[in-house]
Amino acid sequence: MIAELREIAGTDGVTSRPTELKVYECDGWTIEKSAPDLLVRPRTTAEVSAILGLLFRRKLAFVPRGAGTGLSGGCLPINAPVMICTSRMNRVLAIDLENRRIDVESGVVNLHVTNAVKAQGYFYAPDPSSQVACTIGGNIAENSGGPHTLKYGVTTNHVLGLELVLPDGEVTELGGPVEERCGYDLVGAVVGAEGTTGIVTRATLRLMREPEAHRTLLAVFDDVDGATRAVSVIIAAGIIPGAIEMMDQMIISAVEAAFHVGLPQDAGAVLIIEVDGISAAMDEQGRRLSELVLGAGARTVRLARDENERAALWKARKRAFGAIGRLAPNYATQDGVVPRTRLPDILREISAVSRRYQLRIGNVFHAGDGNIHPIVLYDERDSSEVRRAIEAGRDILKACVEMGGSLTGEHGIGVEKMAEMPLIFSPDDLMVMAELRRVFDPDERSNPNKVIPTPGACVEVATPRRQAPL
Amino acid sequence: MDDLDPSELMRMLAAVVDTDRVRFPDAREASAARLIVEPASPQEIIEVVRKCESDGFTLAPMGAARTLVQIRRQPAAVCVSLARMDRVVDYEPDDMTVIAEAGLTLGALNACTAAHGQRLPCDPANPELTTLGALVGAAKSGPLRLSEGGVRDLLIGIRFVGHGGRLIHGGGRVVKNVAGYDLMKVMTGAFGTLGVITETIFKVRPLPENYSLAITSFDTAADALEAARRAEEAASLIHLEVLSPLLGHKFARPGRSVVLAGFGGSRTEANYYRAHVSNALRRNTQMLTGGDAIAHYQWLRDLDFAGPAMVAQLAVLPAELPGCLEACGAEFRAHAASGVAQIFLAMNHDNKEICDAVGRWREIAHKAHGHLRVLEARSDVRASLEMFDQPPEPATRLMRRLKAAFDPKNIFNPGGFIAGI
Repeated sequence: MIAELREIAGTDGVTSRPTELKVYECDGWTIEKSAPDLLVRPRTTAEVSAILGLLFRRKLAFVPRGAGTGLSGGCLPINAPVMICTSRMNRVLAIDLENRRIDVESGVVNLHVTNAVKAQGYFYAPDPSSQVACTIGGNIAENSGGPHTLKYGVTTNHVLGLELVLPDGEVTELGGPVEERCGYDLVGAVVGAEGTTGIVTRATLRLMREPEAHRTLLAVFDDVDGATRAVSVIIAAGIIPGAIEMMDQMIISAVEAAFHVGLPQDAGAVLIIEVDGISAAMDEQGRRLSELVLGAGARTVRLARDENERAALWKARKRAFGAIGRLAPNYATQDGVVPRTRLPDILREISAVSRRYQLRIGNVFHAGDGNIHPIVLYDERDSSEVRRAIEAGRDILKACVEMGGSLTGEHGIGVEKMAEMPLIFSPDDLMVMAELRRVFDPDERSNPNKVIPTPGACVEVATPRRQAPL
Repeated sequence: MDDLDPSELMRMLAAVVDTDRVRFPDAREASAARLIVEPASPQEIIEVVRKCESDGFTLAPMGAARTLVQIRRQPAAVCVSLARMDRVVDYEPDDMTVIAEAGLTLGALNACTAAHGQRLPCDPANPELTTLGALVGAAKSGPLRLSEGGVRDLLIGIRFVGHGGRLIHGGGRVVKNVAGYDLMKVMTGAFGTLGVITETIFKVRPLPENYSLAITSFDTAADALEAARRAEEAASLIHLEVLSPLLGHKFARPGRSVVLAGFGGSRTEANYYRAHVSNALRRNTQMLTGGDAIAHYQWLRDLDFAGPAMVAQLAVLPAELPGCLEACGAEFRAHAASGVAQIFLAMNHDNKEICDAVGRWREIAHKAHGHLRVLEARSDVRASLEMFDQPPEPATRLMRRLKAAFDPKNIFNPGGFIAGI
């Protein structure tokens, strides 16, 4: 088997030594670990096709992997001996600025797409916080978002065409470079399918024109309630900013202690709000936003005066998770979503959960989308705290669902949240989703035991949810 | 069983739904269905689907069937009309999401959201005749696709009755959601071949402030398309339409090709775009604002091709559109920057000319990495036309598998989609 794989992918394309495979035993969800028996790193679509053809004949399951920055255990091998990593398929194949399209191999790093067209004034919109490392293939699997989701949409809104190698090795073209689709929208079915439909080897992506200018505001509030109300006020005024991010008091203190960016330590919450567009309109937009948030009860509003101040504010937000280490030995976070108007309710519920389990919980999240990331602090040496942290997490997710929300806004189900899927989907819903998956993968060999809970395949979460930057 | 006498069909359906829910089609509906059922709840749709599956009747959702009136070769046995399922279930303006039954029309939905300064920014012609089910089922779009994307970008949740009478839901009412497979995408543009959509959940967007419309006419279509390209480079537009002379006469002197560029924003933005668009169009541009601009936009949206023999939709790379339109040599309406255009032949063309045109246009589309779909054709020519373009073979095989998985009894609108599906 190894010899046959080496024949396809070259000697350096196949790894079987356990010490080397240890690197691949988990993604950003570090609670469950399981290394593959074999790692293959193909360089071309033809190699991927030959590898999958071989695995098909041997009836072996496999796991696709990009950069391994996923947050829900999406590329954790569960009864899948072979891992296929796309990291060596990292070429930008064609740039077509006239039509605003770019063709890339699936192992291309997200930020490299924008870097390839930045000088000409274009960008690739989905920008997950891991964008310096994560790959387009991984983004397609997870339907990744990012801070600018609010205005620009997520991965599925920016993928026009795919080259997909089916689990039996056949290469298929889905979608294409044009706007209209021909037949069923199979591109839409593959994006967000968490690698269960085969291996995406190439993608045609949409490029956007870089806005002329940005304005970034820091709005300071006495409490979390005021900040979440301000989000509704902005939206009600018909403004869709590029991003609206929130940090509560616990996070502000930790970030300020770590990075000294001048956040007010006595504030109950802050919002970072960014608008973009033509330069001529930025002052007016900044003023209008300031008036709105002050009217909604903000204590003060500070406008980033230049690119340095803007960068400092975003640094504070993006590194918030790095600062948490100062507060507790361990932390766990989640990715629930609620309708925007229920943000005050879910944050009150999170406070109640914090009191109920006697655990500190901080909040830093994408407020404009209603996508929360509560951070539960605990100490893994205290088994009672560990147990309480798990229960607190589950209570928060259940509350999200009860408020009309969802289990995950951008991290995916993976293995992490499979057990909670029945909270939002009926057995019939899940059965139809499984039927959809089997259209691509009749023997369920591509990333098996993911997304849809089946008896025996569920991972029992015995320790709190992952720690990771977001 | 499809050749059953309609009265007998009616008697059989009355066994599962009240008789007042079943009626014969009117003249227009007759080419789509032999009998119409108007259920008042998902439960009644479930009963109808089960009955059709067990007795082997074909069944098409009415919204899609109304679209298919223009392309279907034979009527389906039963059409499900969602006319009685037209409620706004929940609309939360501050969340910018709306849940509505699939029988509600786009026009009625937007009348409801307009009170809060919002809209579902999908604008096919005649929104008051377009149900949300049809909007999704046929993936309809209009000028706003340039700035707001397509239905697939706005649909965040769905409910449908699938095979076995299962009521299935996907997505939800939150704007960011990656839980489970994306059933919304699968149902969008499926032309009712996978089930009957009962409920839709959409993101809505703010109505633009200071909506303005720039109208300029040109001697030739090529000049108009070139000017449109400059306008698109110069400003962030809400829509950008180019009309060939036959359609342009409502907006300019006869015989001229017309560019209609819409824009808006704060007063500063609108002024900025006005200057840049005028400059890009380089002509005596007529600038409309307020009610005038909106009235002209509505004419543009609802453009009537005046009883054509055939209308087709061309989709190519945007930069290739001018060349393709010139090669096709027919009257057109183009969503210029999206690379999409509707091209058509007038009623006086004979069947051979229509078939030849479709063949020739399709070849032109393929050369430009695109495709061509017939939207509407005179009934006597349908038998000799391939309405849908075919995807490449491996993809087609997946599509057949999808159809077989979602509709194992092959009752949902069979024969009206790609590759014999």
